[in-house]
Amino acid sequence: MIQVFLETAAPRSASVVLLLEVAMGIGLLLGTRLARNGRFRQHAWCQSVIVLLNLAVVVVMMIPSFRVHVFPRLPAKLGKGYYALATTHGAFGTATELAGLYILLCAGTTVLPEKLRITNYKIWMRTVLVLWWIVLVLGMATYTRWYVPHLFRK
Amino acid sequence: MRRSVGIAGLAAALVVGIGALGLGPKIFQASGQQNPSSVEVKIDNFSFGPMELKVPVGTMVTWINRDDIPHTVVSTDDSKTFKSKVLDADEKFSFTFSKAGTYPYFCSVHPKMTAKVIVQ
Repeated sequence: MIQVFLETAAPRSASVVLLLEVAMGIGLLLGTRLARNGRFRQHAWCQSVIVLLNLAVVVVMMIPSFRVHVFPRLPAKLGKGYYALATTHGAFGTATELAGLYILLCAGTTVLPEKLRITNYKIWMRTVLVLWWIVLVLGMATYTRWYVPHLFRK
Repeated sequence: MRRSVGIAGLAAALVVGIGALGLGPKIFQASGQQNPSSVEVKIDNFSFGPMELKVPVGTMVTWINRDDIPHTVVSTDDSKTFKSKVLDADEKFSFTFSKAGTYPYFCSVHPKMTAKVIVQ
C-alpha cells in the first residue's frame, strides 16, 4: 500500500488526505452500525467527529489546493477531464459536508429554529452517507488522474 | 590491428547508441545549439527534460508542458527566482537567467518532479 503511494507523483499531503478520507468513509459506515445496535450516543459522537474532522481537512488542505491549481482555470477549462473531475468532486463534496453539518446542527444543538430542523433524520443521514461515498470515489478518481503517471496517458 | 579498430568502432557505436537511447547522463548543454540565447525544456510524463540544463548567462529558458496534466515551474530558492502559473497542456513559461549560478526547480503540483538549470 505504501509502495503504491510512493510511486505516485503526489505530494505527501495529498496522499495523507486520501488515506484520511478513506478512513473517515469507513468510520461513517461503522458509525451506522452503532446506530443499528442502538448505541445512539456513540453513533452521534462517531459521526460528529468525522464530519468536523472532514471540515478541517477540507478547509486546511483541499480548498487551498483547489484555489491555486483549479479555480483560476474555471470555467474556461471545465471541458478538460482533470479540471472537471476536481470541480465535480469539490461541488459534491461541499454539498455533502454542508448537509452533514446541517444534520449535526439539527440533531446535536438547538441553534436552528424549530421549523428549520429535520423531522426525518433517517432519510437525511442515509442520503448523506451515500453522497459521502460518491464524493470519496470522485476524490480517488481525482487523485489518480492528477498524480498517478502512466494512467490515462496517450 | 584491423580487429582492434573494429572493436573500437563497435565501442564508439555503442556509446553513441546509449546516448541516443537516453541512457546516458541527461545533461543538456545549450552552447551547442544554433540559438543559444533561447532553450526549451519539455515537460512530459511527469518529468522535466532535460533534468539538468547548462546554459550561458542571458539565456531565456522556455518550459513547455507536453503532458496531459497541469504542471508548474517553481524555483526552490527562498526568494522564488522564477515561478510560473499553472501550465495547462501545451502552455509555456519563459524566464531569462541573467546571473550565473545553479537554479534547482520543481513542479508545485507534483513536488517529486525536480530538475535544475546551471547558468555559467
